[in-house]
Amino acid sequence: MSQLIWNGLFVGSFYALVALGYTMVYGIIKLLNFAHGDLYMLGAFTGFAMLGAMGGLVRSSSLVALLVVLVLTMVTTGLGGLVIERVAYRPLRGMPRLSLLITAVGASFALEYGTRIAAGPNPRVYPVRLDGAAVDVLGARVTMQQLVLMAVSAALMVALAVFIGRTQQGRAMRAIALDPKACLLMGINVDAIIARTFFIGSAMAGAAGVMAGGYYGKIDFLMGFIIGLKAFTAAVIGGIGNVPGTMLGALVLGLLESFGTHWVGGEWRDVFAFGFLILFLTVRPTGLLGERVTERV
Amino acid sequence: MTAVPDRAKRPGPTIVTRLMENRHLGWAALAVGLVAPFVIATPYAMNIMTSAVIFVMLAVGLNIVVGYCGLLDLGFAAFFAVGAYTSGLLATRLSWPLLATVPAVIIATALAGVIIGGPTLRLRSDYLAIVTLGFGEIVRIIANNLEVTGGPSGIYGIPGLFGAEAADPVVFYYAALVIVAVAVLLAARLGRSRLGRAWRFVREDEDAAEAMGVHTYRIKMAAYIAGAIWGGLAGVLFAAQLSAISPASFTFLQSALVLMAVVLGGMGSTPGVVIGAVVISLLPEILRDLADYRFFVFGVLLIVMMIVRPQGLWPHRSRETARTAARSGES
Amino acid sequence: MKKIALGAVLGAATLAVSACGQGVLGSDKTDDSGPIALGMVVPLSGSSADIGPYMKNGAQMAIDEINAKGGVDGRKLQLRVEDGACDPKTEVAAANKLIAAKIAVSVGGYCSGSALPTLPLFDRNKIPMIIPAANSTELVEQKLKHVFLINGTGDQQAAAAVSWMGKDGAKKVAVLHDNTSYSKDIATRTATGLDQPGGPDKAALDAVTPGESDYSANIASVLKTKPDFVYWTGYYQEGGLILRQLRQAGYTGKFMVGDGSVDAKLIKIAGDKAAEGAYATMTQTPDTIEGAGGWVANYKKKFGAEPGPYSTQSYDAVRVAAEGITKAGGTDGDKVAKALEAIDGFPIFSGPLKFTPQHTLSNGGFVILVVKNGAFTLRDALK
Repeated sequence: MSQLIWNGLFVGSFYALVALGYTMVYGIIKLLNFAHGDLYMLGAFTGFAMLGAMGGLVRSSSLVALLVVLVLTMVTTGLGGLVIERVAYRPLRGMPRLSLLITAVGASFALEYGTRIAAGPNPRVYPVRLDGAAVDVLGARVTMQQLVLMAVSAALMVALAVFIGRTQQGRAMRAIALDPKACLLMGINVDAIIARTFFIGSAMAGAAGVMAGGYYGKIDFLMGFIIGLKAFTAAVIGGIGNVPGTMLGALVLGLLESFGTHWVGGEWRDVFAFGFLILFLTVRPTGLLGERVTERV
Repeated sequence: MTAVPDRAKRPGPTIVTRLMENRHLGWAALAVGLVAPFVIATPYAMNIMTSAVIFVMLAVGLNIVVGYCGLLDLGFAAFFAVGAYTSGLLATRLSWPLLATVPAVIIATALAGVIIGGPTLRLRSDYLAIVTLGFGEIVRIIANNLEVTGGPSGIYGIPGLFGAEAADPVVFYYAALVIVAVAVLLAARLGRSRLGRAWRFVREDEDAAEAMGVHTYRIKMAAYIAGAIWGGLAGVLFAAQLSAISPASFTFLQSALVLMAVVLGGMGSTPGVVIGAVVISLLPEILRDLADYRFFVFGVLLIVMMIVRPQGLWPHRSRETARTAARSGES
Repeated sequence: MKKIALGAVLGAATLAVSACGQGVLGSDKTDDSGPIALGMVVPLSGSSADIGPYMKNGAQMAIDEINAKGGVDGRKLQLRVEDGACDPKTEVAAANKLIAAKIAVSVGGYCSGSALPTLPLFDRNKIPMIIPAANSTELVEQKLKHVFLINGTGDQQAAAAVSWMGKDGAKKVAVLHDNTSYSKDIATRTATGLDQPGGPDKAALDAVTPGESDYSANIASVLKTKPDFVYWTGYYQEGGLILRQLRQAGYTGKFMVGDGSVDAKLIKIAGDKAAEGAYATMTQTPDTIEGAGGWVANYKKKFGAEPGPYSTQSYDAVRVAAEGITKAGGTDGDKVAKALEAIDGFPIFSGPLKFTPQHTLSNGGFVILVVKNGAFTLRDALK
């Protein structure tokens, strides 16, 4: 039982990091960013390339090296997100929302198969592996590495929540989510704030990518696809556009999958998870913490 | 979204737009489709053209849901799967002729539309999107796990449309072309009918429609069922064309591609959606010779096309103001 | 009425530009001189994109070797590879393209589900199909005259697996698959074998979703049944992760993988420590056959990469195709199919080749490999 909970929470924290970027972008420009999962993949490959470049340096102190790479990768994928926003999304602002969906899928294909051209179709294996002895916590096997990763993602999420809730930038983001036109009139540089949102969201996904690479070890050019879908699901469970809700939603999804596997078997797990989601949404149509708003009035 | 700065300046009718409004263009298009096999009839050409025609049917079906009624559906492949599996199962397990399965397929897909639409159509936009996505996955996983549907290998040995003997690709292409042309025409008619106007009303402003006495839930359900039936019938054609179906054909990616065809062509516009479907289904085949660069180029082209024509390749034209047009995309 | 199948315009126009004289009224002549084309549909995009190059390279190697010796009946061989993406629609389009290119024999086929719709196409066009990788029994159940499997069937592999589990002294076996037809086929047949009285018992039969990274939930539920032997029948990517995570979860029993997981990457992903001692059901590979080490060296020199799953089978498929064409004295599909049926004792990696009446291998040639010092080596020939 405690093992199932722990597994669910651990997986959920990965989902949360990716889902946060999803939800931020959605909250601010109402875009379902299908390329978001691929930024996670990009992060994993960027980290892989950096670790490769650092070579022997890595072996001596793997955790420290991984943390350095983590920060550098976050910057790189953040910039990647900026480029995508500038090229594929900004020219379409103000156009029907679904046309952005096409460019998002286009960007996703371009990232996936661009990586395939650059790095080949074979999976790559991280040179640094986080592996350690397990300790028994309330009947669940927990490794030090898992705890470190959980701590890092928790720290990132708290930092993000503070940033959005307490700083002027964060306030500007929330304002744009409410009414971009009014923000323009109030002298907020809307383009810059949106770009910054993309930067932060993509950096989070990149961080998750490096952490997944370091922990699981295997990365490949399509690894972002499934987690992108999971992140979307998690964001919706929590109430899309709502940051704390998304974190909660991701953990709930992780637990659902963990218990679903246990109860109905791996074959039917996704049926269980999606079935639960559908039932849940019919009861609570705006997610866990989503606000009850009426559209277009 | 509120900011719609400069789309009010609409150019006058140029030659192109007048040509696009031409009433006989559809017939011309059908004629080209009919003549095409006389130009090229290699098995490969017939195959991808038939696939494109079937894909047109799917896109036109989804267009009823997304384009007319404004409901974002990310799991349209579910109906495609229900249609293909119903007809495939009846044809192989009970040896029905494929055409005889059509009524059963219509009933099954309509039922699927009610089951999926029932609990979900009260949800709005993105919540509806995730729920439909979930249903799409559930249908695929069930098909993958059940014994009767053949598991991951699916069903094989499905007879052709007119029995196993008449399997000539050219004959099948013509049959598909005619069936799909009729389906496209029907969908377009439906869009201009009383029901179609109600759909557009719901799309433009659900609350206003409700206030004006439109039973929005029932109207949305009608759109959903109509879309489902179109998708299911496309599934019958698909099963007949491939002779074997498996869950791999009904993934989320398939749903996304159909949605892309609708949006790329121009939501709510029948000629647009037809063109969008043809582009989405033929482009990867045309790019085949680029080998490793194929999907990379495909992705880049999608971005470029959308930036050049953000309203779609052939957008729906009506007497809407720029403002409502922008809002109609929000759905 | 303007709103009808405009689509066809675009399609027709694009194609019309690229071809003339290929219409329904055009003539259809085959060419009996020049190179013999062999076609191959493999996944080069999509979730199995990593397997395609392995198969393509293996086939190319056989073609180059045969051509270096003068080809078949004085005609050179030529390989045409098309991407099928493991998507039935794409695979059918690819098969049609190969048929239009007048290939003599098809030597591709990886995902059973998407290969199925291509079988009647090749069969109707009298193109023998020698399938190197896909191995579901559904492929041959239609009894098509031109379809041959040169990979051991799921039945044969499951039988080999069960017999080794017994020999190795396993008590409770958990079987895991990835819900694709290849993997599920082996897994369910293994489970059936375990359910027979005598020998090891089945502890669990479960599936994972391929393409994910964290399988700890699956592993936790499998370990609840306390197995002392785990058999994974899917591919190496997930196989490596599962093996690693099993060990992390404290599992100390035996682990075995199916032939789709026999790849050096499995050991890399799992890590040397976790992979050491893992078994595999596999046909003979150049690594395990005495004196065949040169094959791997050649492969590496040619393609700058290690061979992977189904490289050897694809290599064999080309050689079998060439043998069939030679024996038939031409590329006529019916004659080649007859010649293939008549083959007896042609050496391929899994042993001397002879097809059963169902066109599968009479002897799957499965052996047991073990990971020793970070590489797969022969453990037991199961003779």
